[in-house]
Formats: sequence, C-alpha cells, structure tokens
Amino acid sequence: MSDRETVDFLATIPLLEDQEEADLAELARVMRRRTVRDGEILWRQGDDAREVLFVVDGAVSISLQQPGDRTVEVGRAGPGEVLGEIALLDGQGHTMSARVTEAGTVLALARSDFAALLVGQHPTAFRLRRRLASLLTSRLRHQLGHLAVSLGGESARLPAEDAAPALVDLEQCPPPDSEYVRRMATFHDFDPLALWSFLTSGKYVRCPPGRTLVAEGTPSTAYSLTINGAVEKVLVRGDRRIRVGLAGPGMAFGYESLIDGRPSPVAAIARERAMLLILPRDVFDRLFYNEDAVSRVFLEVIQRDLLATLRQTLRPCARLAASV
Amino acid sequence: MCRILAYLGEPLPVRNLLFDTDNSLVRQSYSPRMMNTFLNLAGFGMTAWDPTSLRPEDPFTYRATSLPSFDRNLHFLASKLAPTCLVAHVRGVTYSGEGVVADTNLHPFHFIGTRVVLAHNGHLRQFPSMRYSLVEHVEPGIAQRIEGTTESEWIYALILSQLDDPYGEPATRELADATANALRILRSVRAAHGIDTSSPANICVSTGRAVVATRFSFDYGWYPPDDEMLETDLPFVSLWYAIGGEYNQRDGDWRMTAGDPPRSMIIASEPLTTDSSTWLEVPEYSMLTAELVPGGLEFETRDLDV
Repeated sequence: MSDRETVDFLATIPLLEDQEEADLAELARVMRRRTVRDGEILWRQGDDAREVLFVVDGAVSISLQQPGDRTVEVGRAGPGEVLGEIALLDGQGHTMSARVTEAGTVLALARSDFAALLVGQHPTAFRLRRRLASLLTSRLRHQLGHLAVSLGGESARLPAEDAAPALVDLEQCPPPDSEYVRRMATFHDFDPLALWSFLTSGKYVRCPPGRTLVAEGTPSTAYSLTINGAVEKVLVRGDRRIRVGLAGPGMAFGYESLIDGRPSPVAAIARERAMLLILPRDVFDRLFYNEDAVSRVFLEVIQRDLLATLRQTLRPCARLAASV
Repeated sequence: MCRILAYLGEPLPVRNLLFDTDNSLVRQSYSPRMMNTFLNLAGFGMTAWDPTSLRPEDPFTYRATSLPSFDRNLHFLASKLAPTCLVAHVRGVTYSGEGVVADTNLHPFHFIGTRVVLAHNGHLRQFPSMRYSLVEHVEPGIAQRIEGTTESEWIYALILSQLDDPYGEPATRELADATANALRILRSVRAAHGIDTSSPANICVSTGRAVVATRFSFDYGWYPPDDEMLETDLPFVSLWYAIGGEYNQRDGDWRMTAGDPPRSMIIASEPLTTDSSTWLEVPEYSMLTAELVPGGLEFETRDLDV
C-alpha cells in the first residue's frame, strides 16, 4: 500500500471526512501498516489502549466478556471501520475484545499521534472532534438498539403532554456557585473563562422528580446538563424498562438528536429534583460548530459525556430489566 | 465513606477476599480505585459464619481500629477461616477533629442476641439534628444497645426494630422489607427536619444464610456549599457483585467460575480485581437479595423506590 493509496483510503473513512489532503498525508506518514492473521487477538476487554486501528481489509469480531466465563459477539468490523477509539479517548481499558476473523490489513495510529490530532484550536481538531461526537453517538445508538431488542415489545407511547417539549415551563433559577461547578470532575482542567462562557450560554431551571424531560423517539429540542440532582436515561417497553444511564451532576442528556438529527434514542426522566442548565438548539448549534475556546470546552464536555454514557450502557447491569 | 464486602456461598478462605486479589478489600482501605480523594483508614471489621464451627449460628467477629494491612493477627486468621458467609468493612471518616475512631464505631454492627449484622458505606448528612427523632422508631431494648457515635449503628437499630422479632432470624423477604422500611423512616425524618442533601446509604445486612444489600442515596446530587466530601460524593456510590460457582484463581486470574444454578456470590463496593469484566454493577436505586438454599443460591435484584 503506497502513501498515495493510504491517503486515498483515509479519505474514505467517515471519521476523517473533511480533513485536508495535507493532514491526511501527515496522518499516513505516522500510521503503521500491519498485517493481521486469522484468529489473532488484537486486544482483550480491559486491556490498556495503545492505538486506534483503521481496518483496511479483512474482518474483526468484537465481543463482550460476560460473567460466568461467557463471551458474546456484539458486532463485526470490516474495511473502513475504526476500532479502539473509546479507550484511547477516556484512558480506561478497552470496552470489548477484538479478534481477527478474516486475515487482512490494519493501519495503526499510536495514542500520542491520535492525541496530537485533537489538541489546539485549529480547524482540523474541531472537525475531528465533531466527527468523533457523531461516531460515538452512532455507537451509542447501536448499543441502545441492542438493549431495546433485549427488552422486546414496542416503544412506550407516552401521553401527548409528556411527549411535548417539557423544558419551557420549568421554573428558572439563578446560576450555581462557580466554585461548586469547578469541583466537578467534568470541568476540571478547563480554562476558567472559557468554562464560564459555556456555563452562562443557557438558562438554569429547577425540575421536580418524575418529570419526563425528553421522550424516546421524539426530537430533542435542547441540550441539558445536570448541575444538581439526577436524571435517568431509560428505555421503556411495555411494563419493562432498562435504566441505561444516570445523569448526575456534571452529566448531560438530550443531545444525541441534536448531533445527528434523528429522534432521541432514550427517554430522560428526573429521578431526583434537579437543577439543569438548558441550551436550546440554536445555542447548541453555535457552540457545536464554532471554533473558539468556548466551543472547545463544549465539544470536550460532550465527548466526555458520550464516553461515560457508552460505558454505562455497556455495563452488564443495564441488562437487568426491572418492572416499572 | 467506607468500603463494604459480603460473601455468600461455598466455603472460601477469607484471605482470598481480604488480601489475595489485586483490589482486595484491605487494599481498598489505602488505595480505593472508585473513590476520589478519600481513604478508609479508621478501622476494619468482619463477621463470618462457618457451619462447621462450634455453635454455627453464632458468627465469628473480628474488629480492630488498626490498619488491616499491618494487622498480623488478621493475616493469620484470614488464612485459617473458610466461612460460607462473610460481611467485612473498612471504615473511612472525614479528615477532621469530628470523626471518632473507636472500636464501638466499627462495622459490622452486631448486637449480642440478635441474628442480623449490618455494614454501611455512606453517610447521612446532618445526622446529629435527626438522631433523636429516630428514637420513637427504634425498639427500646435495641436503642439501649447503641454504644457508638455513628449514624450506621442507628440504621442498624432501625432495621432490627422493623422486624417482627428483632432477636430472631428473619426470612430473607422480611429482612429486605425491614431494610426498605428503615429507609422510608429515614426519608420521612429527614423531611421533617428539612434535610435535603445527598446522603448515600449502601447498606449490607446479613443473617449468615441471606444477604440484603442496597445501592441507594437520598437526594443524590445535592450538596451543601463548601462540602468537604463533594468530590467523593459526586459519583453515585459504587456497588458491584460477582455470582457463579466458586471464586478461585486460574491461570493467575481471580474470577468467579460459571455455575448454574449459582452457588456463590460476592458483593463489594469495588470489584476485587482491577479487571472488572467478570463483575456486574448493581444498578443505582436498587436492592439485591441472596439466600443460600439447598443446591445453590437464590438471587434477586429489584428497584428500590422509598
């Protein structure tokens, strides 16, 4: 595979769409091409991540280790697909095991080279962060789809008043103490001014427990960030439901459909009384597509949230359906 | 904040749970992986049931305020005991002059003559202001036995007082209901005193034949200004379990073997191994019950809405 062929291949990968040819050429230069054998273990679930892989040809089986020495195949990756980015981004172990099922070729991008693509405030980094948000949203929808199938039945039909946007009539309140917000892990290591600009981009509201804030299957109208309290992300099918995540302080909800334009994959229901930061769609779009210090904070917050939510949906307890 | 551990199943050397794994309970006292900015250095305690011991219905108890990693007596005992049920705890207190490090505050709590023990991971904020409102909900004979200064011991007394016979061995369902009732009483007393800040209540109670555990918090996500425990409390307090045939070491890795029906179960604040792929996370706001029955172990998880 010549450098030219590598660049042409990279240009076909959705994650790298919109990247300048010079950037792809630089990427091709630092990537390592590797032949993989049938049966080769690329990594095991829980292993530290050292690289992200781009499958050129061949096939890879993705599997999840289950208690009781069981292994469940949850997907297959073929040419053009990306593997291992979740663990590389959040610094935790690989979420699943990867084994080659058809010999082929992969391109490996080392952790440091991948990280270098995301630093700074140049357009390339912003484009990649947005593409990553789309990729992670797609992975999240895939995983939630699996969980929904395991529940069986039809998506719950919510009463009209619950399905309607429920955020407009919530009681507005003053912003939280800035020292409190800065002590949240979500907001560590951000520039204080940029962080505060993000945190003052929307309005603050109070919400009672039990309130449906986002209905599954309907478009979300806003990005919501929990400041205090907790909001459950749930899939409901008939009389069964799965809590696939809990958005406590510093965690967000309702943004998936703002990223990809599709209906919300889960419902969001306040479990505790909550104080929320609400960013309406126009504010979300401005922060998501701008390329300044405030948008960098915003994209980083979304990325952290997507990674944490993905890990939550992968945890085995999410499969424990409880009757509502 | 603390770390808790419960085991129920095939006889298992205590040292396998306390010392042998790379995230054992004793290791969690000085190097917890799932707690921010907090260590558990205020003492260790365990209660164990061994059906082959003298008077098997009376559990064996060991508690010490010394650091368990340096406790040679504990090392020796842990190598000799192989119980079918164990509840163990490493205690953490806030770094202030207010925490009382004393034998009477060590978990698991076990009032002599009763058949239930309790260990708690969490803390009830503003407990001093609600303590005496709990008296009316606690059986007088039980209230007289409270010796320490912790809210955990009051939770224990409250649960015992919800049983038909606080001195008998309750059925698993009764113990689970008593635990949920105690949480309801705590919620109502908190409301009466205007207490509405986050207060985790991961509770583990056991009779030696059954274990009931909760992963729960009152008013999760709300904190007083300048709270010293904020970074530790922001994530929902963790609880995990592993269930299967038996817990042993194979090819260098500690894991629960497959077992259908299951015969053994570990419940712990954190997985006992850094590789958590064979552990399950207990859902937030839920209760888990497990009971030894002929041929294995019955197990159930349910939503806890109190």
